[in-house]
Amino acid sequence: MAYAYLFKYIIIGDTDKRFQPVHDLTIGVEFGARMITIDGKQIKLQIWDTAGQESFRSITRSYYRGAAGALLVYDITRRDTFNHLTTWLEDARQHSNSNMVIMLIGNKSDLESRREVKKEEGEAFAREHGLVFMETSAKTATNVEEAFINTAKDIYEKIQEGVFDINNEANGIKIGPQHPTTNSTLSSSQGGHQAGGGCC
Amino acid sequence: MNFIRGVMGGQAPGPQPSGAETIQKLCDRVASSTLLEDRRDAVRALKSLSKKYRMEVGTQAMDHLINILQTDRSDSEILGYALDTLYNIICNDEEEEQDENAQKQSDDLGAQFTEKFIQDSEHITLLLTLLEEFDFHVRWPGVKLLTALLKNQGVQVQGIILVSPMGVSRLMDLLADSREVIRNDGLLLLQQLTKGNAAIQKIVAFENAFERLLDIITEEGSSDGGIVVEDCLLLLLNLLKNNSSNQNFFKEGSYIQRMKPWFEVGDDNSGWSAQKVTNLHLMLQLVRVMVSPVNSPGTTTSCQKCMYQCGLLQQLCTILMATGVPADILTETINTVSEVIRGSQVNQDYFASVNAPSNPPRPAIVVLLMSMVNERQPFVLRCAVLYCFQCFLYKNQKGQGEIVATLLPSTIDANSISAGQLLCGGLFSADSLSNWCAAVALAHALQDNLTQKEQLLRVQLATSLGKPPVSLLQQCTNILSQGDKIVRRGSKVQTRVGLLMLLCTWISNCPIAVTHFLHNQDNVPFLTAQISENLGEDERLVQGLCALLLGICIYYNDNSLENYTKEKLKQLIEKRIGKENFVEKLGFITKHELYSRAALKPQPVFPSPEQMLFDHEFTKLVKELEGQHRLCDGVITKAVHKSSEEDKKEEEVKKTLEQHDNIVTQYKELIREQDAQIQELKEQVASMSSQNEQMQTTITQQLSQIQQHKDQYNILKLKLGKENQTQSNSQGDGSQVNGLQTEELSQLREELEELRRQHTLLQTQVGEKDVLINTLRSSPQMAEGPSAGSDNTELLQELEVLKSQVQSQSSEISQLKAERQELLKRAEARSADTVPTSDSSSDASKMADLESRLTAQTSEKEKLEESRAQLEQQLDSAKSTVAILQTEKEKLQTEVQESKKEQDDLLMLLADQDQKIHSLKKRLKDLGQTVEDEDDLDARDQTSDDDDEDEDEG
Ligand SMILES: Nc1nc2c(ncn2[C@@H]2O[C@H](COP(=O)(O)OP(=O)(O)OP(=O)(O)O)[C@@H](O)[C@H]2O)c(=O)[nH]1
Ligand SMILES: [Mg+2]
Repeated sequence: MAYAYLFKYIIIGDTDKRFQPVHDLTIGVEFGARMITIDGKQIKLQIWDTAGQESFRSITRSYYRGAAGALLVYDITRRDTFNHLTTWLEDARQHSNSNMVIMLIGNKSDLESRREVKKEEGEAFAREHGLVFMETSAKTATNVEEAFINTAKDIYEKIQEGVFDINNEANGIKIGPQHPTTNSTLSSSQGGHQAGGGCC
Repeated sequence: MNFIRGVMGGQAPGPQPSGAETIQKLCDRVASSTLLEDRRDAVRALKSLSKKYRMEVGTQAMDHLINILQTDRSDSEILGYALDTLYNIICNDEEEEQDENAQKQSDDLGAQFTEKFIQDSEHITLLLTLLEEFDFHVRWPGVKLLTALLKNQGVQVQGIILVSPMGVSRLMDLLADSREVIRNDGLLLLQQLTKGNAAIQKIVAFENAFERLLDIITEEGSSDGGIVVEDCLLLLLNLLKNNSSNQNFFKEGSYIQRMKPWFEVGDDNSGWSAQKVTNLHLMLQLVRVMVSPVNSPGTTTSCQKCMYQCGLLQQLCTILMATGVPADILTETINTVSEVIRGSQVNQDYFASVNAPSNPPRPAIVVLLMSMVNERQPFVLRCAVLYCFQCFLYKNQKGQGEIVATLLPSTIDANSISAGQLLCGGLFSADSLSNWCAAVALAHALQDNLTQKEQLLRVQLATSLGKPPVSLLQQCTNILSQGDKIVRRGSKVQTRVGLLMLLCTWISNCPIAVTHFLHNQDNVPFLTAQISENLGEDERLVQGLCALLLGICIYYNDNSLENYTKEKLKQLIEKRIGKENFVEKLGFITKHELYSRAALKPQPVFPSPEQMLFDHEFTKLVKELEGQHRLCDGVITKAVHKSSEEDKKEEEVKKTLEQHDNIVTQYKELIREQDAQIQELKEQVASMSSQNEQMQTTITQQLSQIQQHKDQYNILKLKLGKENQTQSNSQGDGSQVNGLQTEELSQLREELEELRRQHTLLQTQVGEKDVLINTLRSSPQMAEGPSAGSDNTELLQELEVLKSQVQSQSSEISQLKAERQELLKRAEARSADTVPTSDSSSDASKMADLESRLTAQTSEKEKLEESRAQLEQQLDSAKSTVAILQTEKEKLQTEVQESKKEQDDLLMLLADQDQKIHSLKKRLKDLGQTVEDEDDLDARDQTSDDDDEDEDEG
C-alpha cells in the first residue's frame, strides 16, 4: 500500500502476565503493522510491541531511539502498573530521541468494576509530564484506533512545525514512496529509493 | 628503538633471549612509561610480535593493552596499535597450509584469550564506545576485533552487547560508514552478531537493516555484484531465518517487491561468474526463507500471495524455463518455486499454466517431470522436480484431478506427452530412482483425495501387443511380486518401497481400492509370504511396508469380499505370520534409520540416491495409522491385536453404524438414480407435449374437414329430401336406411358416453389408489423411527431427510405419470371424438384419408404407450431399489402392483373402447359407401378455403 508517511511506534509498560503461563508472554519484541488516515493522508504504522517483563528491559531500550511514538500502557485494574509509570517514563526519556511522542494509555477500561486507578489520576499524570492521555480497552477495541491516530496526529503536527527531521530515518519517520517532494533537501539526502506502491 | 632492533633483528647471542622476556620488557614499558610516544612504540612493538609470539603476547600483554584502550583514548594511533595487537592474539587466522593440529591449537588460543577478554563485560562496552570514534585507525581494527570476539564466543558477547545501551544500534551505524572497508567489515560483524540471536536480529531489523542492505545490494549491482552483495545476503538470511517477527516486518515493509528485480536474468545465461552463481543462490534462499513450510502458516501464506502479486513468482518461472542457467541455480530455482506455490491455490494455478517456450509449447510441469524420470539428470535436480510436483499438488484437489485425468481413458490425449504418461513411464522403467520418484509423485496426486483414489482404479495399461490391458493397480502389484526377477538399475529395495508407499497411500481410507486390491488372488498370499519370511537386514523395510499394506487391507475393509473379510484376514495373520510377529514387522518402518529424517520436513533431500527411501507425506500417513510412540499402538496394530470378543462388540457397533451408513449411501444412490430418471421423464414429457401439440393441430384439421363433410352431408340430405318428395314411394328405402342410421348412431353415442363415464370413474379410482399408496409409503417410515438406536439420531435425521426426498421425488414421478395419463386421455378423447362426429361423412376416399390419419394417431398412441411402459419399467426399478432397502415396502409394492393391475384393466377398457371405435368406424364406412361421387371435388375446394378458420376451432 502506498503511504505518505511511515511512523515507527513502540508499546511499553508493565507486563500483564504475572499470573499467566509463560508461553503467553511477549518474548522480546513482536512486530505488527497497520494503516491509518490523518488529514486525508495514508500513514503506515509499524508497531513493535515490547515485552513488559523486567528481564527484557534492556532489549526494550534498544527500540526507544528509533521510534517516533510510544504508547505507555498501564492497567487501570492494577495500581502497581500505574505506580511504575515514572520509572518507565524516565527510561523512555533517557533512551529515546527528545521528540518522541509519548501517549499514556489506561487499558482495560471495560473492567470498570475492577478499576483501581481513576481516570482523573491518569489525566493528572499525563498533564504533569506533558503526555497525551486516553483510556482504552483492547478487549472491546474501544479507543484503540483513536490511540494510534492521536499519537500519529501529534507526530504529524511536529513534522509540520519542522520539529522532526524527517530526513533522518533514525527518528522513526519515513516519507512514503508517493510523497510529493515539497522539501528541497529530500531528493538529495535519500540515497535509496523505495519500490513503488506494493501489493501487500 | 635500540631495544626493538635488538629483539627483532639481532642474532640470538648465546642462550635464547626468550620471547617472553622481551615481551615482558615491552609490557613494563607500556605500563610505566610516562611518555605517550614511548608507550606507543612499545605497543607497536607488541603488535609486530603478536603473530609470532601470539601466546606470550596474549598472556602477558592483554591487561596492559586494555589499559591503553581505557587511558589513551585521545591518541588514535596508540589505540589502533593496541586494537590490532588484541585482534592478532584473539583472531584465529584460518590459514590454508596449516595442518589440522595447528589449527586446533590456534582455535584453543583464540577461545582462551577471548574468554579472558570478556571476563569483564566492561571491556566489550569499552570496545563499543571506541567504535564511535570516527578515526579509521580506531574504528577499523575495533570492528575486526569485535568480529573475532563474536566468532570465538558468540553467545556471551551477544549477551553483553544486547544489554549495553544502544549497543546494537551503534553497530548498525557501521553500515552507513562512507569508507567501504569499514562498511564491508561491518557487514561481517553484523553477520556474527545476529547469528542465532532473535532479539538482536529484531533490533538490527528495527534499525532499518532491510532498507540499508537492499540499497547496498542494488548499488553493488545485485547478482552481478561482488562479495559485498554476498555478505549483505548472508546477513539478510540471518535476520529472516526462523524469525517470524522480522519476516512480517520484511513483508509489511514491501521489501519482497524489491527482490523481484534480482531475478531478471537475460536470455543468454552462459558464462556466469562463480560470484554471480553464489549471489543468486543466496537470493533464492532468501525467497525460500520467507515461504518456508516451517514458518508460521500465516506468514508463508501472505508472502506467497505477495510474491504472486508483485510478479516474483512469474520471474522465477522464467528462470525455470530459460536456457543456459547453471544446473545448481536451476535446481535451487525449482526448490524455490516449489515453496512459493506450496499449498497456495492461486500460485499453483499459475504454475499449472506456465508453458515452456518449446515448439509446440509444453506445460512446465510436463517438461519438469521429463527430467525427473530421466536418468541422465543430476540427482539433486530430480529431487527438486519431485519436490516441485509435490508442492504443486499439496492441498490442491484441482491439480490432483488434472494429473489423474491425464491417465483416464476418456481424457487421454494421444497427441502429446502428458504428466500421467511420464509418471507411468517412470513407474515401470528399469531405473529404480525413476520408479521411486514416479510412485511418490503419483501418491501425492492421491493424498487426502478419495475421488482421485477411486478414479485411478479406472486406469488401464496397454501391455505387450495382443495381450489384454491390465489395470494400473494390478501392474503395480505385478511389479512388486516379480521383485528380484526384473533387471533394474539402482536398488531393488527402492523400487519396491516406492510402489508399496504408493499402494498404501492409494488404498488407505478407500475401501473400494482395498476391495480392488484384494480381488487379485495373488496379492494377499504375496504379502503374507513377504512378511512371514525371515529375510535379511535390507529387506526389513519392505517387510514392514507389506505389513502396513496388509494392515490397511484389514482396517479399511468393508467386508465385501467373502474370502477377504476383516475376520478372515486376521485369522490369516494369526495362522501364517502370528500377531506378535506381524506387529514387530510393522515396527520396522518407524525404526528405520532414515524414517525420522524424512519426517522432519517436506523437501526430499537425500545425501545419496540409495538413501532415497521415505517420503515425508508417507511418514505422516504412518503416523496417522501407527501413532508416533512405540508405547501407544496405532489403529492398525489395534485392529490386528483385538480379541475376537472385543472385535465382535466393536463389529456390532460398527455394523449398526455401517448399516446406517449403508442405508444413507444407498439412499443417496437412489436419489441419484431417481434424479436421472426424473430428468429422463421430464424430457419425455417435453417430447410428448410437443407430440400432443402436433396431434392437436392434426385433430383441428380433421375437425374442420369433418365439419365440411357434415355440411356436404346436409346438402346431400336436402337434395335427397327433394328427390324423395318427387319420388316419394319409390325411394322410401333410402330414407329408411338413413333413418336407421341416425338411430343407430345415437345409440352408439350413448354407448360411448357410458364408456366415458366408466373411464372417468376408473380414473378417480386410480387417483384414490395413488393417494392410498402415498399414505402407505409414508407410514412405514414413521414406524421405523423409534426402532433405531437413540445414539444414531443424526443418521436417522439424515435418513429422514433422504426419505422425504425420495417421497417428494416419488410424488413428482406420480405427478408426471398423471400428466402423462392426462395427455393420453386427451389424445384418445380426441380420436374418439372425431370418429362419431364423422358419422355424417359420406365420402369413401375422405374416410380412407381419415382412417389413415387415425391409424397414424393410433400408432402414435402406441408409441406413447410404449414410452409409458418404459417409464413404468424405470419406475419399477426405482421402486424395487426402495424395496431392497426397506422390507416394509413390500406391502407397498403389492399395493403398487394392484394399482398397476387396475391400470391394466383401465388400459383394457381403453382398448375395448378402441375396438368399439373401430367398429363404429367400420359402420361409418359402410354408411359412407352410400354417399360419394361429386362431393369429393367440393370437399377439396372447401378445405383450402377454410384453412384459416380451422385454427380457431382447434
Ligand atoms: N478485559 C480486558 N482484558 C484485556 C485487555 N487488554 C488485554 N487484556 C487481557 O490481558 C491479558 C494480557 O494481555 P497482553 O496484551 O498480552 O499483555 P502484555 O502487557 O502484552 O504482557 P507482556 O507481553 O508480558 O508485556 C490477556 O489475557 C488479554 O486478553 C482489555 O482491554 N480488557
Ligand atoms: Mg505483550
